[in-house]
Amino acid sequence: MSARGLITFEEVRQAFKAESVLKKAKHDAKLVVPPPEFRKGCDLAVEFNINELVNIKRTLATNKIKYSDIISIDAATTKTLEVVKVFDFGDSIMVRCGALKITFEKGTGLIRNISGGGCPDVPYLYIELVGKKLTEAPKPRDIGFTLCALCLDRAYEEAVKLYESSHSGHSTN
Amino acid sequence: MSLVIVGTVPIKDFPLYVGTPKVEGNYLLLDGYKVPCGMGTAALFFTANLVCQTLNLTPPIWVTAGDIGDSSGSRILYQHLASNIQNIKPKVLTLHYLLPITLLAKNMMESIRKVKPMLIADAGSMYVMKSIGAAKEFDLFTPDPGEMAFLADPKAIHPAYMQHYLFELDTANMPSLIEQAYKQGNVPKVLLVKGAIDYIVKEGKILAVIDEPNIPALEPIGGTGDTITGTVSALIYSGLEVEKAAIIAAKTNRLAGKLANPTTATRVLDIALQIPKALVQCLQ
Repeated sequence: MSARGLITFEEVRQAFKAESVLKKAKHDAKLVVPPPEFRKGCDLAVEFNINELVNIKRTLATNKIKYSDIISIDAATTKTLEVVKVFDFGDSIMVRCGALKITFEKGTGLIRNISGGGCPDVPYLYIELVGKKLTEAPKPRDIGFTLCALCLDRAYEEAVKLYESSHSGHSTN
Repeated sequence: MSLVIVGTVPIKDFPLYVGTPKVEGNYLLLDGYKVPCGMGTAALFFTANLVCQTLNLTPPIWVTAGDIGDSSGSRILYQHLASNIQNIKPKVLTLHYLLPITLLAKNMMESIRKVKPMLIADAGSMYVMKSIGAAKEFDLFTPDPGEMAFLADPKAIHPAYMQHYLFELDTANMPSLIEQAYKQGNVPKVLLVKGAIDYIVKEGKILAVIDEPNIPALEPIGGTGDTITGTVSALIYSGLEVEKAAIIAAKTNRLAGKLANPTTATRVLDIALQIPKALVQCLQ
């Protein structure tokens, strides 16, 4: 594996943006957990191939992404939770990632509920998403700020996949 | 000596509020602001207030500020408590939706230690108290199964970080997670693990397992954990032992869920409104 670098941020939302712009620029970048000595609480960092450092810095600057630091790391210790679980309630499906759950109506894709989690943007995301269709609701990573938003985003992406596959001939039943 | 509930509201730039809001329909009125009784600390406060009314107790005090996840309101609350907890003098202090910020949490705990209230934590406050090593100082945490896996992982500082094998374990083998959490030592005296099956645990020993009535539709409903934490906070404030309060709260929440006849689209307010009736039955 290539040597890895880590970009740390003051705000989780900047990490979301950084991952998006770096991926769009075809860099091998992913959201990870900062090592303990760099953690301040609800932190998230972006891991990348350190050989691309100069280009990465340029991409961040071009896109006006604010970051705290860039460091070298051991990639093996910093994976965030990516496992999702799916629960069928008959007329609706609940998708869970970590402590976050999103439930949508099978036929319409309407988001019925969001539950779990403990960061302050979860009630905010509840207000912004519940009652809207999966395909029309804002993505949690676009309006959220925290690791709970990240987990909800992963559950949301899985929910969208399930809903879209059910409407392209594959049943979610 | 009050029941004091601390947690943010999901309204950007909502100023610091300390007081007991009035209830108007589905809203709480805070100095002219209308806050919906949706999931989060609003649901917790709303429920604790209902339980206090039912038991003829002084209503709780809510310390809140607006935070949509950008940490602004959480910072205000950490700093306000650090500076003012000695004036607030809570008998029971429930810490809820706060963005985990370790340095501010450590400062706040230094002030809280001087006042020595009964301490309850849930949501982000639970995450940060675990991450700063202060969980043992709490009387009660109220994790869900995903959060219990996080508590069992000695390295995790947020449920998004926990080890995958613990996530797989969570609902399948809760006693094992509970055992692991107490082995690593960073847990409060009592746990109320809220889920499809509720576990009440004291110092590592499972005192009660509550699985009836079983209402699967409750799990997707945002805020059903908040109503349990609100109920147990008020019951502890009434003078009940923590573990007894936890057992009654778990039973009450399940019964309230049944009385509300929920679907996966039900709102938490509909569950909370059934809490007084359910509580009276559970206390008999």
